[in-house]
This record gives sequence, C-alpha cells and structure tokens, in this order.
Amino acid sequence: MRDDGIPSDGITRWLPDFCVLPVVAAVMLVAELVVLVIVISPSPQGFSVDRLLFATVFGEWLALCCLVCLCRMRPIWRRLKPLPGVVAALFAVTAIAALASLLVKLIDAGAGLGLTEGDGDRLEFVASTTLITLLVAAALLRYYYVRAQWQRETRAQAKAQVVALQARIRPHFLFNSMNTIASLIPSRPKDAERAVEDLSELFRAALAAGEGMSTLGEELELIDRYLAIEALRLGDRLRVDRDIASMPADLAIPSLLLQPLVENAVLHGIQPLPGGGTVEIRGTTTPERVDLTIRNPRPQVAPAYARGNRTALENVRQRMRYHYGERGKLEVDAGDGYYQVAVSIPRA
Amino acid sequence: MKVLIADDEPLARERLAALLAELPEVQLVGQAVDGREAVLRAEELRPDCVILDIAMPVLDGLEAARHLAQIENPIAVIFCTAYDEHALAAFEASAVDYVVKPVRRERLVAALERARRFTGERFRMPIAPGQAAQRRTHICARLRGNLKLVPVSDILYFLAEDKYVVVHHVGGEVLIEESLKALETEFADRFVRIHRNCLVATERLGGLKRTPDGRMFADIRGAEAPLEVSRRNLPSLRKLVKAL
Repeated sequence: MRDDGIPSDGITRWLPDFCVLPVVAAVMLVAELVVLVIVISPSPQGFSVDRLLFATVFGEWLALCCLVCLCRMRPIWRRLKPLPGVVAALFAVTAIAALASLLVKLIDAGAGLGLTEGDGDRLEFVASTTLITLLVAAALLRYYYVRAQWQRETRAQAKAQVVALQARIRPHFLFNSMNTIASLIPSRPKDAERAVEDLSELFRAALAAGEGMSTLGEELELIDRYLAIEALRLGDRLRVDRDIASMPADLAIPSLLLQPLVENAVLHGIQPLPGGGTVEIRGTTTPERVDLTIRNPRPQVAPAYARGNRTALENVRQRMRYHYGERGKLEVDAGDGYYQVAVSIPRA
Repeated sequence: MKVLIADDEPLARERLAALLAELPEVQLVGQAVDGREAVLRAEELRPDCVILDIAMPVLDGLEAARHLAQIENPIAVIFCTAYDEHALAAFEASAVDYVVKPVRRERLVAALERARRFTGERFRMPIAPGQAAQRRTHICARLRGNLKLVPVSDILYFLAEDKYVVVHHVGGEVLIEESLKALETEFADRFVRIHRNCLVATERLGGLKRTPDGRMFADIRGAEAPLEVSRRNLPSLRKLVKAL
C-alpha cells in the first residue's frame, strides 16, 4: 500500500465517520431519494401523500438506525481487514433492515392501521425492504470508497511533487562549486570548463526533478558528474570505488533519486574526516531487481554543521515509497565508523 | 597585517591565497587544513587575523574561533562560508565579519579592514551568552607554554585543584582555568559528578567498591587509580552504574 499520511488501519482508511453531521445528512438525503423513487414509481395503489409520509418516516428511521449502528462499529473496523469489514457493515445493515421492517409490519398489523397493506404480506415486505437497504448501502459504500481512492491519489501526487522539489541540490553545493570554479579559472581553465559543464548537467536534472522519470544510466552518470565536482573540491581526500558495470542503463527510475544518497555519503562521511575516505558504490542485477549499495566511512562524532540533517534520506525514502510501494526497499546500516545505504528497485 | 587561512578544500585555500597576494598590506603567514590546525598554527604564528571556513573536519570553524579567543593577543576572526545560514552563530562566536564564497575581492578588503581596526583597538571580544549552549568537542589548554587541544572523547576525568581544574586524558594531564561547575553544565550528557572536586566521563565508569574503612571508590577505565566518591553523590552514581 502506498503511504500518504493516512494511517493504514483497514477499512477506516476510506470509510467515512458516520457520526458526523455532513455524512448523516448525506445518508438521510439518499434515504429520502430512495423513498421518493419507490413512492413515485407506478404501483397498484398509485401515488398518495399518506403513503409518501409513511414511507419517509419509515425510510428515515431505518437510515438513522443504520447510521447509529455504523457509527458504533468504527472501533471494530479498525481491527478488521477491508473485506471482512465491508461484509460486517453490510450484514449489520441487512439485519437492521430485516428487524425494523418486521417490527413495523407487526405493529401495523397489531394496531390495524393498514399502512403497509399494499406492500405485500409479511415476508414480501421484509424481503423487499431488506434488499433495497442492502443495495443502497452497498452503493453508498462503493461511492465513499471511490471518493477516498481519488482523494488519496491526488494527495499522493501532490506530495510526490513537493518531495521531488525538495530533492533539489543544496545551496551549499552550488556555492562551494562556484568557489571551486572561480579558483580553477586562472590556473586550470580546462578543469574549470568541465566543472561548469558538470554543474550545468546536475542543475538541469535538479530543475526537472518531479517532472517524471529518468533512466538508471542517466542517474549513474549524474552521480559521476557530481563526484567529479566534489573531487575537485576535496582533492585526494575523496576516493571512489565503483562497481556498477552490470547495471541495466535503460531501466526507468525517478529522476535524481540516487544522487542525494551519494551527496550524503560525501557530506557526512568524507568531508568531516581529515584524511577523507572511499565512497563505495556497488550495483548488482537479477532478472527481477536492481540493487545498489552506497557505503562510506564516517567520523565518530557528527560535526555540528552537518548534524541532524536526515531530510535527504527521508526524501529518497518517500519517493521510493511513492513510486514503488512495498516493492522498493531502502535499508540503512549505520555501524561503528561506517554508513551504508542499500537501495533495491524492481525491474518491472 | 599577518593573515592565516584555514579551509579543508585545497582550491578554496588557493583562491583565498591568490586574492590575498594581490593586497600589498597583507602577508599570508600560513595555511591550515582543519580547525585544530588553525588554532595550533595561530598560537605558533601569532597572526593578526584568521580567515576560517566553517565546515571543516576535526574542529569546525565556529569552535576553532572560540579557542582562538583564548590566545593572549586578540586575533580577529573572519568566517568564510559557502552559504550564510551560519551567520548568526558566527557572530556569537565573536567574529569581526563573515564573507561568503566565492569571495569578492572588495568584500574581502572590507572584512580585512574591519579586522585591522579590531586588532588596532586591542580588546577582547566578550563571549556571547549563547555560546555556552554549544558544547565544545575539544578542550583548549596550555602545556609548558604551548597550546594543546584535547578531544573531549579522550578525557577520563576533571579534577578541581585550588584555582585550576586538571584534565586527565588518555595522553596525560593538562591544566585549565575553568570552573568545574561550568564544565559540568556544558558536558552534562557525558560527564558525571562523583565528588565535590571531580567529574568523570560516564562511558569510562567501571564498578564501585568500598574500602575496609568505609570509603567508596569508583574505577575509571584508563585511569591509574580509582577515585573517591562522596557520600552526597553516591546514590545517583549507584543508579547510573547499575544502568550502564
């Protein structure tokens, strides 16, 4: 299941709260509409105001009974899976309709009012009332389900866009790179030129992040461009060990999904170490999945300037969840002196 | 004016050095690759001004500035950072100015001018109250006239003696002029009071034992002898040792 902030507790994810006024009003309106349809539709007794009044009172009373019951059932739904939850709700509604119609028929017969005389005998009346209630309830549940689904879809989409926007490159990186380029221009103009090209590629990708998919090949190239700039900045303190030759370059993945993980490795792992270290990027491919691990050494104590910055990782996690649901995996292994992130993506 | 620059990025140092070389009244006396080296070289070279990067390994620029403030003749600190989110913290650490990367020549000249005036007046910047909230990663001390930076993670215990506090660490001991009370507050999460005159690193606490004459001692891993525990601190220390 895609997570979008709504707690995953079965049927209550999409079923409305029947205890609140707007829902009560909506259900009662639907009950009245059904009553009107039944009363207006051609029948041997024909239309009469008496019949409409009686049917309205009966219909609304039935609707209220069902609402109270559904409202009370909420704690039970919380513990049930969607399908048993729906079955339980429909069963409760059916039982109420059967009991209520039986009760009305008995009272009517006992008091001799003859209000239900034209509606067939006892069995017929109970059966038709129950069936109508069941059908209307099922239609309503279906409506709420579709509406919740649609709302969730819209919300998830909006969220994914926001998250992608947040994945854009950090200002620190921009200004540090500009500084690097400024110092390269007089002494090593060729390197400066290449750095400008690399930086442009990265920003082009960052500005387009959230607008769709890229390919694994492009993403790995972005990582290379990023590392090329950081290598200029950090000198020989940054060493990179890549083993990604076997990766399927044409696999579609969300743009700028992986680069932030490598940026984290450099920022929190290599930069705070006086002697630097090696960022290891390893990829393995199976017919079903692509796995990528990024591993870096890290200092015992996180420096103050880099502390508490887990937003990038959280960002990647959320985007993975949005795009792959349960099939995407992101695992963090933070051991003594090292940090490793393992990403696993389905190929289909 | 003698200037020292500290930045962990070789190209950033190169650029700053090139800019400074164009200024006739400035003499670049040295370069440091991290905050720790900046403090030690500043002690040795006595520059008038240190230009400090903030994001540096071992000791970041903000903490380095606090240690620089303890060197006898005042040193003007200019922070040089890629992005100005640190500006407020920079001024709390009593910098005379801060410049952003890539540094403009005119901006650097203006900052150095402020630094020159600062050294001219020869006053010590007051330590801002906000600083106490930031814990140091190193303790700065003087050993036979030389400045020494001891990583807090290497410290076994602090022992108060007369006007000084003796810092016992893995590599020996140094004297500092700070109060035990202030140290206790600053490092409340790493050190525990076991006696009126003693603070011990929690992670180095061993067991407690009682001598025949009824006095309590705590074993400190890495220390030569156990330290006495006062009656007052015993109950809370017992709880702590049990929890370890």
